[in-house]
Amino acid sequence: MVYVAGIDVGSTQAKAVVLNDQAQIVGEAILDVEMNMGTAAQQVFDLVVANAGLTADAIAFTVATGYGRYRVTFGDLQVTEISCHARGATAEFPRTRTVLDIGGQDTKAIRIGDAGEVMDFAMNDKCAAGTGRFLGAASFALELPLSDLGPLAMKATAPVKITTTCTVFAESEIIGHLAKGHRPEDVLAGMHYAIATRCASLVRRVGLTPEITFTGGVSRNAAMVSLLQQVLGTPLNVSAQGHFMGAIGAALYALDHARSGSRQPHVEEVAP
Amino acid sequence: MANTALPAAKADARTTGQRLVNQWLANIHSAPERGQPVAYIFVMGNAVEILRTFDFELVFPEINSLQTGVRKAAPDFLAKAEDYGFSPDVCSYVKADVGLMLSNMEHPSGTHIPKPDIAIASSLCNVYIKWAEIWERHFGVPAFVLDIPGKRFANWQPLPGTPQYGADKRWVEGQLCDLIERCEHITGKKFDPDRLAEVESNVNEMIRLWVEILKLNQQRPAPYNSMLDGLTYIGVLNAWRGTPEGVEYMRLLHDEVAGKVARGEGRVQEERFRLIFSGTPCYVNMRRMVDLFESHGGVFAASDYLTYAAGGLDSSGLFYDPSRPLESLAEVTTLASQLGLSNHFFSHQTLAQQVKEYAADGIVYHGIKSCRTVATSMADNREYVTSRYGLPTLYIESDLIDPRYWSDAQIKNRVDAFFEVLEQRTLKGGR
Repeated sequence: MVYVAGIDVGSTQAKAVVLNDQAQIVGEAILDVEMNMGTAAQQVFDLVVANAGLTADAIAFTVATGYGRYRVTFGDLQVTEISCHARGATAEFPRTRTVLDIGGQDTKAIRIGDAGEVMDFAMNDKCAAGTGRFLGAASFALELPLSDLGPLAMKATAPVKITTTCTVFAESEIIGHLAKGHRPEDVLAGMHYAIATRCASLVRRVGLTPEITFTGGVSRNAAMVSLLQQVLGTPLNVSAQGHFMGAIGAALYALDHARSGSRQPHVEEVAP
Repeated sequence: MANTALPAAKADARTTGQRLVNQWLANIHSAPERGQPVAYIFVMGNAVEILRTFDFELVFPEINSLQTGVRKAAPDFLAKAEDYGFSPDVCSYVKADVGLMLSNMEHPSGTHIPKPDIAIASSLCNVYIKWAEIWERHFGVPAFVLDIPGKRFANWQPLPGTPQYGADKRWVEGQLCDLIERCEHITGKKFDPDRLAEVESNVNEMIRLWVEILKLNQQRPAPYNSMLDGLTYIGVLNAWRGTPEGVEYMRLLHDEVAGKVARGEGRVQEERFRLIFSGTPCYVNMRRMVDLFESHGGVFAASDYLTYAAGGLDSSGLFYDPSRPLESLAEVTTLASQLGLSNHFFSHQTLAQQVKEYAADGIVYHGIKSCRTVATSMADNREYVTSRYGLPTLYIESDLIDPRYWSDAQIKNRVDAFFEVLEQRTLKGGR
């Protein structure tokens, strides 16, 4: 049996998956990235291999992606997360023509061709507005875990209008609205809406072509999914593995290489 | 191209270019002690031909500013302007120039930049006039503003033969006459039309060679990178425009580039992708930026910068008629401005033409954080080439000279992803 790994070392978290030669996930792992991306990459790799019930030498090929991809010194190849999210999204939703990935620091809109290839992409520039980091600021200001933000925002009855999407100023804006007596859920709904409109603009920049698949850590946020669908006026594909989509895409590239034999020291049998 | 042997270049263009740049700076430095008048001018719409006839030493504050970036000294100058009260959003060329004023005009090249005897602005960039007003206040020298009409509407161009073109040309010519009067007053010299004709003949020859040099990069492999080597070429072209030295440099350069083409020498060892660069360079990190592309075998075969920054679109092949020098100067100035930086209506067509001529695989747009003017038309332009030609494009953003806007990891990520797109297309056999 051939096993491959995909490691996505992002700005906030390192994600990893192991696939078997049928492209099935046999292990996944996630860790927060702290000071050292290289250490985080090694730790998440060790963890995913253990979660898959394997040892490191069973992994025939490893592809690294994310900002920390060049820190994955044990990886065989680096591929950008743009290609990896596109690959992962089209593997699960083959009719995907647009991918929206909202990560911790970057938001990407990716246009996909009929053969699943990346045609174009747009990313936020020089500013973390409209990224997961903005929600991180909200989480900090409201002293709530990230996972609680979406469900709470969905309880809003009178969402406030958030004028800044600046992540640095978000905290003071939230505190300002709370001081004026707005309820946390209404402030949160406003923040989600601000991110959704900014991300929708990125999607339109590459051409809003259905089907749209929403990936990245923020795709787990139900309020964001709902608002994006509303703002874009179209349903979104959301995978239960959306958070791992970059790592899955990386692992699928790894599987290509393992199958083509570009490096397969531990491969005993290769699927046709 | 046939592998014919060309005669070896007599002197090295690179060394000659460097010598000319040094000499130009030395001339500026020593102008006051030699009693030589000094003109401050911008790269576009500067009537340099008239100034040459009066023997002004030419100072290009844009080049002074970009040189602070190249020499890694920009942060000090930008900080001085910001400490003084300029917003970080203001054009970084302007701020570096203000920083230079606040540093007693001691440029990091070792040149003391003398105060101007005349300062000329034009309407070709919307910052020029305000910038010249800063000079007015600082040096107490009134600015001379050339109002050069460009294209006013989309899909409409006042071409020769139309009444509007005639009116535009007369409008420009009248201003050139005013400028001549001003120069006569400053220098005490009488305007010499024969000297203008001579300068124009030199410019014509430089432009003829420049157009050839640009065309040589249509060859595969491209002999030079338009966003690295090309930046040196236009520096010399601007500083020595209309002079015998400028003509000689362009000849050397042409022969050298033609020699590379004949020998099949490319800028990169293995040219895999031919790219067009749209926008202004990031002078503070241009080598790094070019490396990011060349490491993937991508070479900038062409760029719109080499056209509009070369004194206002010389590559369109606009030539002077030295038999009627002043009228011809007005005509070319009017037409060049229609194609210059401030015109956004037709830039997509120029770019689309370059895509064909240079067999480009993709276009890279470089937005400038402190210049919304050049970045504004990029969205439309990009949409046009993507939808019309299905050409892969990349948008990256940094600045002219402000290193605070250079985020290496972010830019590398985008460049890597762009090459993955290009690779995928190559594998599928498409463009």
